[in-house]
Amino acid sequence: MAARRARRPGEAVFTALLLVASLFLLWSAYGISGFESLSSPGAVPMATTLAMVVTAAIVLFKTARAPAAEGEKLGRDVLPPAVAIFAVMLLAYAVLLEPLGFLPTSLLFLVLAIKLLSKGSWLHAGAISLLSLFLIYVLFRIVFTVLMPAGIVPEGEILSWIRNVTGVRF
Amino acid sequence: MENFLAFFTVFTHPELFALVALGTFAGVYVGAIPGLSVTMAVSILISFTFSWDVLPAIALMIGIYMGGVYGGSRTAILLNIPGAPSAIATALDGYPMAQRGQAGEAIGITTVMSFIGGFVGIAVLAAAAPFVSNFALSFQPRDYMLLAVLGLLLVGSLAGESLVKGIFCGALGLMLGTVGMDPLTFTQRFTFDLPLLQSGISFIAVMIGLFGVSEALSQLHHVDKTAVRQKISRIVPSLSTVRKHLPLSLQTSSLGVLIGALPGTGGDIAALMAYDHAKRVTRNPEREFGDGAIEGLVAPETANNAAVGGAFIPMMTLGIPGDAVTAIMIGALFIHGLNPGPMLMVEQPDMFWFIVGGLVLANCCMLLFGLTGIKLFVKIVEMPRAVLVPLIMLLSIVGAYAVNNSITDVYWMLGFGVFGYFLKLYGYPLGPIILGVILSRLLDDNWRRAILSERGSLEGFFMGILTSPLSLVLFLSVIFIFVSQTPPWKRWRKRREALRAKIDPAKPASEESV
Repeated sequence: MAARRARRPGEAVFTALLLVASLFLLWSAYGISGFESLSSPGAVPMATTLAMVVTAAIVLFKTARAPAAEGEKLGRDVLPPAVAIFAVMLLAYAVLLEPLGFLPTSLLFLVLAIKLLSKGSWLHAGAISLLSLFLIYVLFRIVFTVLMPAGIVPEGEILSWIRNVTGVRF
Repeated sequence: MENFLAFFTVFTHPELFALVALGTFAGVYVGAIPGLSVTMAVSILISFTFSWDVLPAIALMIGIYMGGVYGGSRTAILLNIPGAPSAIATALDGYPMAQRGQAGEAIGITTVMSFIGGFVGIAVLAAAAPFVSNFALSFQPRDYMLLAVLGLLLVGSLAGESLVKGIFCGALGLMLGTVGMDPLTFTQRFTFDLPLLQSGISFIAVMIGLFGVSEALSQLHHVDKTAVRQKISRIVPSLSTVRKHLPLSLQTSSLGVLIGALPGTGGDIAALMAYDHAKRVTRNPEREFGDGAIEGLVAPETANNAAVGGAFIPMMTLGIPGDAVTAIMIGALFIHGLNPGPMLMVEQPDMFWFIVGGLVLANCCMLLFGLTGIKLFVKIVEMPRAVLVPLIMLLSIVGAYAVNNSITDVYWMLGFGVFGYFLKLYGYPLGPIILGVILSRLLDDNWRRAILSERGSLEGFFMGILTSPLSLVLFLSVIFIFVSQTPPWKRWRKRREALRAKIDPAKPASEESV
């Protein structure tokens, strides 16, 4: 076994939250059918949530006793700005996906993300995004026939126009 | 005999042949690019191949799986970053070889050994699975329940750094699997009166979140790191090198199949144990282990590819996953209306032979792609993370949306992505969660059936275990595996080995606890 780990920033709070959530779930599992019988629908949920409560409590106990990791900071090693920004961007993507449509939302997301990460120019980010989006679109929309929300882009019309002009069936 | 003909399906249908080859090709690269895992690729693919027929979908996934297990070794050798957990042991000796300028040789021997290991695994699968499934037909519900527990125990503890955290994650997965309407009594479980929870949480959303988005978020920590270029010399190994290591490769392949076939343990553990085995049996290595010994590459690479065939045994015959990837494959089979387990082998034996054929083809493609195209390979692996990470995120969202065309699944996926990011950061293993979700139904249904058949009496249940040899063996295995992973037992083992080393100083105590 490895030597005892140092406690990372925020770990105690995270574990405590896991414990609270597990307790809540145990209470909810008890509510399914109580101690009615061993074969009741609540039996396995109660056993699993009880296991969660016990293990989360043990982890919390160990974490609380572990020495804090030296030189680690919450804002740099656990939740650096990049991770927080991307989490928000992903959420924004999900919110915009249906009203705006797959193509514009994805392009927006890719340009912003690549610009943020690569520190190159907007042109560079835009070109790479367009190329990757084109490849993804061809692969998934046409090869895998995955349906994505069209939103504001009249995708179907454009595709059928291309089919008519080129005469290629896909 | 008729069923056996299904073995040749992939070879006679150009479309399926191409899909297996394409899958293997993609798998090699996906496995090799650090930050892209086979688990991630298969999870995302399930959603995209959702609308396909079952055969092409399975063909593609088999290729990705086989290629991916092998691909992880590439980056382990070239960059000292295992592309997959099953390549951790490969990095120990592969990277020192690359540093000495023998990267090509290391890749070559790894490829050939993966091929040999892969074949041993498939051969055992083809020979053993029909017997196992015949045997499995006599399993009682309690036996299935015990098997499910066994699978959970093995993964929950062996893979992670902490037994307790592993159990927590396994239990969390079981809990997630029970959310929604109970299929036996139509009772609501964990739905909190929310309509969106009634049909349960989408398994694919959980999976893509945990293995796609959380991985991508973790990668944001290392965006600035660039790959170090290695010079690659000749690749195809000489026949004499292969012949010299053949005995060891057969031993470690057998070990790999065995470990892979145990429910819950997969290629990563097989590779580490094989490495340990090679270290013990190799008398005079040309170089020390850890300093670029070829044996240190042969052992883990044969074992992890042999484990692929091994992992298919419990998956096809019992419906119990061998590791996280087979857990996802089971999910895929379910989605395509198949029910992995002994009945699958009885009702659709051709499906079994089709899969075996696909594996054989994938193994051959792996050898071919492994020994060629190295220039292209280096280019793709050096793809900047600034582009890779946003692309993984985009594919994850598209994948989560595509299955049900539902934005709710995307929110679940993102939620589990962020949750998984924190779990990973604080040292919780994610594999057991997905295993728990997959095994949840099996465990829940069979426990209740077993108890009902004993009219609700716990004594009857235990008497049943004691009087059936099979149940008893399973029960004792569960107890033994649980106890062997607890800290007091580990301390006792260590003390005993230290004592033995004192008595016989020529035989050093093995220090690696896997």
